[in-house]
Amino acid sequence: MGPLSFPAREDSKLEYSNPEIPEGINTSKTHPLKEFLWLTGGVMAAIFALVLILILFADVITSYIPFSVEQNITFSGVEASTEEGPLPEYLQSLADRIVRAEDLPEDMKITIHYLDDETVNAFATLGGHIFFFRGLLEKLPNENALAMLMAHEIAHIKHRHPIRSLGRGVIVGLALSVISTAAGDAIIESFLGKTGYLTILKYNRDMESQADETAIQALNSIYGHLGGADELFKILKEEAGRLEPPVFFSTHPLTENRLYEIKIHTEKHPAHDVTDITPLPQEFEKWVEEKEEEKTISL
Amino acid sequence: MIDLGVFLTLLALGYGFGRYAELKHYKSIIQREKELNILPAIAARTPPMISKACDCNLVTGNVVISVDYFKRFISVLRNIVGGRITSYETLIDRARREAILRMKQQAHEMGAKQVFNIKFETASIYKGKRQQVGSVEVLAYGTAIIPSQGG
Repeated sequence: MGPLSFPAREDSKLEYSNPEIPEGINTSKTHPLKEFLWLTGGVMAAIFALVLILILFADVITSYIPFSVEQNITFSGVEASTEEGPLPEYLQSLADRIVRAEDLPEDMKITIHYLDDETVNAFATLGGHIFFFRGLLEKLPNENALAMLMAHEIAHIKHRHPIRSLGRGVIVGLALSVISTAAGDAIIESFLGKTGYLTILKYNRDMESQADETAIQALNSIYGHLGGADELFKILKEEAGRLEPPVFFSTHPLTENRLYEIKIHTEKHPAHDVTDITPLPQEFEKWVEEKEEEKTISL
Repeated sequence: MIDLGVFLTLLALGYGFGRYAELKHYKSIIQREKELNILPAIAARTPPMISKACDCNLVTGNVVISVDYFKRFISVLRNIVGGRITSYETLIDRARREAILRMKQQAHEMGAKQVFNIKFETASIYKGKRQQVGSVEVLAYGTAIIPSQGG
């Protein structure tokens, strides 16, 4: 196809021309480096101010973080634990009774994990996960002591101690993850650590006392007395004396004081008789041992 | 720390090369605009009144210009605070003027005296995809009026 042709026209007075347009109408005259400095300076100052405010009010803000956010934080360590079998089931059923006694909110789901390890310890962590080590369970003489231990850990969850003790790091991380997911996750991770952060959660003495207080009330409402509960602290005291005091124990209130607390409460709600103390299930000892045997065979 | 180093290096490279290319480009644009000013490009849709018979032909000018790391970083910050994205303004300005110049150059080579009914098409090559270099395409097209050889 060849080019279109137009016939000539009669009147041709119109003249067209393109004027020289001055520079800087469609573009900005600001030097790019100046803009860069203004922008980065301003944005960084804003983030800094935000983080500062978050740090100052961390403790207040943490109590407003919904429990579901905690549940969404994934962490390592859960894989190593057992949730199936008679022992974890028994522990979970006991936990459910305590949850009712402590009157936890509906959405606070407690998950019990059993770790086949000699460590004499138990701890509560983010997302309502509570870990029990074989080392501590096999030392417990009766259900009341176990219930005291469990009630104490569940009370930690109830009072939101795990997230409150992580406090600032997590708050700042969660806030920054709104701006940049990568930066936020990196901060949370650096505070939590990639592995083994579960056990480094430290609760201060006020938190421990609060948990003890709630646990004592729960035990009272379940059993009607505190008989046998003091056994737990006697074991912990023995452990603390035998080993060099681990971090876990040093942040707890002095065991003497805790025993004294229980004594005072026991005087208020006395156990009628030693026979009132609920024994552990008959197979409990077997459960705790059986696991050990299975483990040695598998090794 | 390494990430920060890489980031700052990219930023410095982006600024250095981007700025150099932009200043050089503007210099060339301004000079060629003066040269091709003899050939007006008009937005009017109908051909102007011409006494002599003439041929009309489609002329196009097309250009693709890439954004640099520095410009993109500034635009990201602008996404937070708002305002004129001046770093992109120069990019688009250069692309449009370059496209017109290429169109006019084509018309000039055909022996045209004017180009009328000029239009633009602007396209973002990367369409907002992440992890891709952003670049803009500008196509300018119009109808060149070439005086008929036969008269």
